[in-house]
Amino acid sequence: MARQFSITRLPGFGAIALLTFVLLYLPIIILVVFSFNANQSQSIWGGFSLRWYEAAFQNQQVRDVSIRSLWLALVASGCATVLATLAALGTTRVSRFKGQTIIYALINQPLMVPEVVTGIALLIVVAFLKVQTGYTGMGYLVLAHTAFCIPFAYLPIRARLETMDRTLEQAASDLYASHFQAFRYITLPLLVPGILAGFMLGFVVSLDTVVITEFVKSAGQDTLPTYMLGQLRRAVTPEMNAIATLFLALSLCVVTLFFIVTSKRG
Amino acid sequence: MSEPDPTQPSEIEITGLSKTFGQGASAFTALADIDLSIRTGEFFTLLGPSGCGKTTLLRVIAGFEQPTTGSLKINGKEVAGQGPNARPVNTVFQSYALFPHMSVAQNIGFGLKMLGRPAAEVKETTAQMLKLVQMEAMADRKPSEISGGQQQRVALARALAPQPRVLLLDEPLSALDLKLRKEMQSELKRLQTETGITFVFVTHDQEEALTMSDRIAVMSGGRILQLGAPNDIYNSPAERFVADFIGDTNFLTVKVVEATDTIAQVRLPGGMLQSARLPEGMHPAAGDDVTVVIRPEQANLTEGGASPLSATVTHSVFFGTDTLVHVTLVDGTPFTLRRQNAGNPTPPAPGTQVGLTFAHGALQVIRE
Repeated sequence: MARQFSITRLPGFGAIALLTFVLLYLPIIILVVFSFNANQSQSIWGGFSLRWYEAAFQNQQVRDVSIRSLWLALVASGCATVLATLAALGTTRVSRFKGQTIIYALINQPLMVPEVVTGIALLIVVAFLKVQTGYTGMGYLVLAHTAFCIPFAYLPIRARLETMDRTLEQAASDLYASHFQAFRYITLPLLVPGILAGFMLGFVVSLDTVVITEFVKSAGQDTLPTYMLGQLRRAVTPEMNAIATLFLALSLCVVTLFFIVTSKRG
Repeated sequence: MSEPDPTQPSEIEITGLSKTFGQGASAFTALADIDLSIRTGEFFTLLGPSGCGKTTLLRVIAGFEQPTTGSLKINGKEVAGQGPNARPVNTVFQSYALFPHMSVAQNIGFGLKMLGRPAAEVKETTAQMLKLVQMEAMADRKPSEISGGQQQRVALARALAPQPRVLLLDEPLSALDLKLRKEMQSELKRLQTETGITFVFVTHDQEEALTMSDRIAVMSGGRILQLGAPNDIYNSPAERFVADFIGDTNFLTVKVVEATDTIAQVRLPGGMLQSARLPEGMHPAAGDDVTVVIRPEQANLTEGGASPLSATVTHSVFFGTDTLVHVTLVDGTPFTLRRQNAGNPTPPAPGTQVGLTFAHGALQVIRE
């Protein structure tokens, strides 16, 4: 009897797997390790210390950009989640219509278009609007991040809606629920895990994006990633390692929560 | 099982109703020109194989599908075009469709809550319904924490709680094992008698239909082929499909000797003359070939001595209370008869020459 094909038995599988993990995680491990370095070097270990975390917390600029990043991510992914939920309902809870595939592609456009193209396009529009209106506030970043986050929020919500048993909504309407009541009492509660997942994915994406922010922001609107990029151009200090480590921890928490929420059967 | 009074008012009145899915070349006619009247308080069954349109008809009555043409009246009011939430009917779904995030009690109270009934009334009716289906102990459980049979009871209670005029049941027993199925059959019958609500029941199981229904509509290809009480459908099938789908039966091709409006004299293979009942509106002429059906239990077997209709035993199958005896007639047509085992201890051996006689009224002519 022939043995079943198994990729794990191919020659070099172990070596390639190991190399992949090393490439993926070694730089991160080094970054984390040196954030606890007592001296200023990125290559010579000088003992354990929390001085760079202290320095980061005492740096007013770091605090400002961190708060801006979190605030922006919350607002943008919140808006994106609401819009994505409506879009998901509009593409799954209606009878098939002409151009449905095009709508689907349009919603997911930011996933397929190179980020830099989206960035340049936004830059041109935002520059025009700034000249026309004179408004240079955070609104542009909120709009840009919202638009960018929509597909990330849309995908898990749509997936949840598609796997939901449609007879539940029929049963609700059979039991005298109006369309709104069926949504309010049946669809929405069952959709919550999808909505949370979409929100968290959007949050991480917004927190992370450099390109979009770089193109759209006005002076003094740095987010944590763009601030760090700016700092690194001048000098690499373990303070950046410390900030990056904290940033990593936050992302990990959100992603872990995302997995817990999506794997929970409801 | 009492026959409902035909003078009773119709609960559901369907006239010239059809339903077509899709358009143009890919259009599919699921229901074709249905005329049907379901009486108040009866246990009515739509019976047929899968794809015959029975579920579509149920969904049209529920309001999940809108008819393409025709009229649908519930309690005298036209409801075609209205949504399910505007109709005084509730559905028990094949998959039960219990709300997974709500407790058993919340599921049962949902309809009343949507109707805007006061909380006290919702609570009281829910308690009554829990008692009716013997699920009081499970009130706070989630649907995922109870068994399939219990889910079935909750689905029933949920649909009965708003006291609908009509309860629609879409193959509700198909997911249950045989023992539970039998239990639920009598449970359903009890609930229907206790509540007096009109039940419209969809099934592909002919035995289920025969034992539970006041009347049965046999469907095929989007049409109602025959409508009647279980014994009418069983004893006087009008078409081959109905005779074949319900129970076991023998089909014989015979020649008409003479015919009145209701009875025909026919000549069986081997020459024996018998009278056969004619379906309504069928007037064969003398000399026509027609098909008659004979149920296996309507034929008797005589051993020894001459018989006007002789046959040869091919084999017998023992069933405990009775034995199925397979024979071939003189012209080679296979024929099956069912013989009670009481008083007939040994089945006839293969090759035995036997004679056949038929119970009075056993022969029914069918339309081909």
